[in-house]
Amino acid sequence: VIGLRRALWLIAAGGLVVLAVQIWLIASSDYALDKGLWVALDIVIGGGFVGVGLFAWYRRPDNRVGELMVATGFAWFLSTLGLVEPALLFTLGLLLGNLYVAPAIHLLLAFPAGRLASRFDRWLVGITYATVTIGFLPFVFTVDPEASGHCTNCPENLFLIETNHGFATTSLDLLSTAGVVILLAVLGRLIGRWRHATPPMRRIITPVFLSGAALMAMLAVLLAASVVGFEISSTFYYLTLIPFGLVPYLFLASLAQARMLRGGAVGELVAKIGGTIAPGELRNALARALNDPSLDLAYWLPDSECHVDPQGSRINLADFASGRATSPVTLDGERVAVLVHDPLLLDEPELIEAVGAAAALALGKERLDAELRAKVGELRESRARLLSIELAERGRLERDLHDGAQQRLVSLALDLRLAQSAVFEDPEQAQRLLEGAGEELEQALAELRELARGIHPAVLTDRGIDPAVESLANRAPMPVEVVEKLGERVPKPIELAAYFVVSEALTNVAKYAHASRALIRVGRENGRLVVEVADDGIGGADPSRGTGLRGLEDRVLALGGRLDVTSPVGTGTKVIARIPCE
Amino acid sequence: LARTILIVDDHPSFRASARRMLEGAGYSVVGEAADGGEALRAARELEPEVILLDVRLPDLDGFAVARRITGRPGAPAVILTSSREVNEWGGAVADAGALGFISKADLSGRALEELLA
Repeated sequence: VIGLRRALWLIAAGGLVVLAVQIWLIASSDYALDKGLWVALDIVIGGGFVGVGLFAWYRRPDNRVGELMVATGFAWFLSTLGLVEPALLFTLGLLLGNLYVAPAIHLLLAFPAGRLASRFDRWLVGITYATVTIGFLPFVFTVDPEASGHCTNCPENLFLIETNHGFATTSLDLLSTAGVVILLAVLGRLIGRWRHATPPMRRIITPVFLSGAALMAMLAVLLAASVVGFEISSTFYYLTLIPFGLVPYLFLASLAQARMLRGGAVGELVAKIGGTIAPGELRNALARALNDPSLDLAYWLPDSECHVDPQGSRINLADFASGRATSPVTLDGERVAVLVHDPLLLDEPELIEAVGAAAALALGKERLDAELRAKVGELRESRARLLSIELAERGRLERDLHDGAQQRLVSLALDLRLAQSAVFEDPEQAQRLLEGAGEELEQALAELRELARGIHPAVLTDRGIDPAVESLANRAPMPVEVVEKLGERVPKPIELAAYFVVSEALTNVAKYAHASRALIRVGRENGRLVVEVADDGIGGADPSRGTGLRGLEDRVLALGGRLDVTSPVGTGTKVIARIPCE
Repeated sequence: LARTILIVDDHPSFRASARRMLEGAGYSVVGEAADGGEALRAARELEPEVILLDVRLPDLDGFAVARRITGRPGAPAVILTSSREVNEWGGAVADAGALGFISKADLSGRALEELLA
């Protein structure tokens, strides 16, 4: 395998040899007209396409624009074979003289990505290649170039089978008609694509598309005129070569211009960021530097492991960037932000890299703001949720009291009154009523105890998290082992949150997990209280559903902590709360 | 002749105690209902003279049930009851067309007689 660089040098050398031979052949041709002009065209057009194409190929080996330019250049050399002496080369020129139009159209339609974007484009290009190659066979098989007035004193057509002037003319007319249709279709595609292009895209395609469109229009006029037999001067033919020959040079110029613009834009950006920059201005400065008004910024928050927009709202990057491309910006090897931009800019990785590097520090600063806003937003939301939880909880307490202990006490009051009035007339009845009343009272007391524990467990206040968790474990309907204890008291709100995490998690294990046992760990880790409840049940718990886990998360969040639930189907559920606790 | 009465409350323990209490006081308890819909049906079928009606029911509340029953000639007398005090309900008792209100803990034959008299 030879390297790309070497291969390109070989092609360049081959191109020079072909060009030199061609110039010598034209110069030594007896019958060619305008020899000087054709030599010049060979150098300017053929040499231009091959040279610029090789440069583009070297610069972007994965983009086929370079290859297509080189192909167009070599195809152009074929078209001047129609002027040379050796009969075989002359015949080849007769057959393939118009070949250069096919890679040129291919190049225009594939510009600037190097790929044909639609099935229609692929068809169009395929038909063009067929037309300018096998399409000319009937003509070449039947034309006598000398007799048909194609040229005078020119070599013999080696492919001639039988001279048929009428057939040759008709087949040429058919080819010209097909050519007009193809050229107009390409023209339509170029105009359509230009109209739908984004601003940075337009900046890149406009010069090349303009000359391409001019070429298509002029060639169409030329061919249409030949079909209807309208005499057009050869000057017009030479004029069509101007937009064609300009294509590689315009491409080169737009590259240079982009490079200059890019340098200027990055310089301006650096100057801007060096000074103080207002919030929100950074995006605009970056959008200007990249010349992409659609640019958006997303910041990466490593603590929460999520992306947020500059306002601090959580986003799903894939949805946010849908249809656009993303380029991460790193600072000291760490991801800071993501540029969400026009996919076209991926063709200019140096620009993205330069802009990203210039802005990394400022982006890092803005990320802190976004992070703060995200935290504030999260707290605001969780506070609102806590409030509504609080309200719902009060409602539930009232209902529990009303439906439970209160009803029992009401019945108790009625039964006691009945017993009182029966105590002399019917002592047995009074006895039964009092027995019933005693049971009712037991029940009411039990319900009140349970309720009080739900509001604030006394054992937690009196003796701390370890005994409270122990008692939760003992009351659970399945075996629960406390495998790690904290061994110290921590601030009351943290104890309470930790207690509710264990309590709610165990309730869920009992209700949904189908677990045979559960483990509880309460410990400290990097200045945080860590509470973990794990079971060996069916898993598949979804923390975004069910108000229980959500309410827990809000309690933990309100203390600056976080709650993680991992619950793969089939391997049990693990609830871990981490609460800052210095 | 004993007055007929229908007891409406969603707590079975209260219904049982109230039945004992009212039967002891000489009423004939012709039926019990646990929610508003059942209460309306029982009132139609059993045609009691008095309905002891809890305010808080799982479906309709006691006021709504009372409004549907009272207001017709020959309609039963509705006594609303609740574990709360009467003043917690404001004018809602009278607006519903009920004859009166007895707090659950104060229920007795005498309290009922006083309202019905």
